[in-house]
Amino acid sequence: MRKSEQYLKGVKVSLPVILGYLPVAIAFAVMASEVGFTPLEIIAMSTLVFAGASQIMAVGMIGTGASMLSVVVATFVLNLRHFIMGSYIMKRLGKTKTVHKITTAHGITDEAFAIISATPDHICTVPYLFGIITVTYGSWVVGTAIGAFVSVLIPAVVSDALGIALFALFISLLVPGIKKSWRLIVLVCFTALLNTVLTWLLPDNASSWAIIISCIVGALVGVFFVRDEEVAQ
Amino acid sequence: MNYLLLSVFMMLVTIIPRILPGFLLDHITLGAKARKFLNLIPFTAMSALIFPGVLTIDERWWIGLVGALVAIGLSLIKKMPTFVVVIASVLALMGIYAIV
Repeated sequence: MRKSEQYLKGVKVSLPVILGYLPVAIAFAVMASEVGFTPLEIIAMSTLVFAGASQIMAVGMIGTGASMLSVVVATFVLNLRHFIMGSYIMKRLGKTKTVHKITTAHGITDEAFAIISATPDHICTVPYLFGIITVTYGSWVVGTAIGAFVSVLIPAVVSDALGIALFALFISLLVPGIKKSWRLIVLVCFTALLNTVLTWLLPDNASSWAIIISCIVGALVGVFFVRDEEVAQ
Repeated sequence: MNYLLLSVFMMLVTIIPRILPGFLLDHITLGAKARKFLNLIPFTAMSALIFPGVLTIDERWWIGLVGALVAIGLSLIKKMPTFVVVIASVLALMGIYAIV
């Protein structure tokens, strides 16, 4: 397959994410403008950071009066999962040029990761990943810009309901992958329960630690609990 | 707080964990157990990102739970597109907010 075909395949496979991202991006922009971000600052954050969960967490923290340092540390901890996701993506891509490693890094998101994890090995290439990133990054920035400018027009009932968008997106990426294996379902429920308990036990500003710990402990338990053939590749 | 400066710092702490694996992994060969561990991360990470966060979108925890159940129910249907799940969940919550 030629590189342009691989790229277009990546674009095509990630098109559904646009409609998943738009409500999330708008939700972020609405929350950010509520805590005093200007449209320019909202768009700048999406362009530079490109991490939906962290951005939503950041504006939430700012809303409760958190300091800049605590927001940055929380972002770092929450995004440590991208180290693990990045390891997985790089392992799937195989040998990669340095320039590609750096340029693709900005696009390692939960969604890109979910798409890659559902992709067969032979189409899992650098141009394919660039295709995914074009769509995910583009729709995130454009969606945020739309939200930043129309947030004043959005009624409260809509902006409140948009809070579910990011979670619905994660659920729709998670459920199809686990529904055929009861062991994976048990593992996912165990992880959710563990994270709920940890979040409840740890102080408020440590909830991103809870996510990291649950994610790692869950996967460690899974290594022994889930059968090899139930984990793709 | 300077939000542009905040975004630059957030970018730095986001991109570092995104860039590192590409360079570290060239020097490490992963065993079968380590690969299995990495393959399980998508499932556990998504799960931890969803719960309990989804229960905190409103002071009434059950509102998030209803939204999550709508999303789970729709995701169980074969070949259900992501955007349908997201938009249906948002519409469901709009319905709830209109009633309660």
